[in-house]
Amino acid sequence: MLAGGVMAGVFGSLLGLGGGILIVPLLTIGFGLPLREAVGVSLICVIVTSGAAAGVYLERHVANLRLGMTLELFTAIGALIGGLVAFLLSEQILAALFSVMLVYVAVSMIRGRDPEVDDDAAATEPPAVQPFGLTLDGPGYAVHGLGRGAIGSIGAGVVSALLGIGGGLIKVPVMHLVMGVPLRVATATSNLMIGITATASAIIYLLRGGIDPFVAGPTAIGVFLGATLGSRTAHRIDLRVLRILFVAVLSWTAFEMIRRALTTAA
Amino acid sequence: MRAPPAADLERRVARLLRVGTYASIALLAAGVTGMAAAGRSPLDPAPRFDPARIPADLGALRPEGFLWLGIVFVMATPSARVVMSLIGYLREGDRAMTVVSVLILAVIGLSVVAAMWSGA
Repeated sequence: MLAGGVMAGVFGSLLGLGGGILIVPLLTIGFGLPLREAVGVSLICVIVTSGAAAGVYLERHVANLRLGMTLELFTAIGALIGGLVAFLLSEQILAALFSVMLVYVAVSMIRGRDPEVDDDAAATEPPAVQPFGLTLDGPGYAVHGLGRGAIGSIGAGVVSALLGIGGGLIKVPVMHLVMGVPLRVATATSNLMIGITATASAIIYLLRGGIDPFVAGPTAIGVFLGATLGSRTAHRIDLRVLRILFVAVLSWTAFEMIRRALTTAA
Repeated sequence: MRAPPAADLERRVARLLRVGTYASIALLAAGVTGMAAAGRSPLDPAPRFDPARIPADLGALRPEGFLWLGIVFVMATPSARVVMSLIGYLREGDRAMTVVSVLILAVIGLSVVAAMWSGA
């Protein structure tokens, strides 16, 4: 489990995805854990891996703390809703949703883009005055579209809570394309927001018996070590080869999760 | 020269995040080491979360005590970051961000209530 966590951390870090997307399949397919329990453990792992990185981003003034806190209010609301909904849905539906997300990420990679990443050009709407006197702009950019950003953030929170991921798949494009935040800042700010987003739903998983400490401990340490290792070796690895391998792993995982969902439902 | 208040707050928050993360990892590592020493498998049945039992488990050096406390640290670190920001924004007289910080903490509190209510 520790070794699996290291692999998930290395892969996630090298491809900028975070470990969440691999932890749930690792625990369900690899170790036979119920999907909901795997999601609870995954939430703990994504908080751990985002914490240290967010600290670095803040010290380097890449992450926008004010923007991150404003949006995480909405991701937390979404995560609260998602955490409650997760206990109402069947494991089959959750597995199907997870498979859809895996296919989306795999297709994004085949098309040659990181799923979180798009063109350099952010939307070019003129800056708008934010409500309540909020000043969210950063050096060299103006933030706009707070209303749409808030809606997108609620969606990111729901997805994070249901699937045990950080939610960067939604948050980064929303901040970059809708709110005019530079990509680097959007990625760093998204990372900062993971902590509160995942905590809002992890509390529900914890208090409803959805987190196993014997699984969470080794997995979280493995993912943390893997993410640290991945960030230090990224420049030595041919990411094109890694991408192809990753697409293959994601496709197989999506197929396997759908197959299991159908088998269990039958 | 003194750093501007915003930069100073970001530095303090960054330090808190790093310390919180490393403290969590240290506790989880102690728990995993205890599991290995006791021959416990990750797939063994685990006790449910009971905060009242953590001190006794820690005192008896049971791995679950360290693991549960590590998990609590993991989940408390982001909230502590919001509390620190709240204090910073209060000192700066930034009313809008003070309200945002309070609302975030309220949502986290609501999660606890909702989990207890829905799990009852």
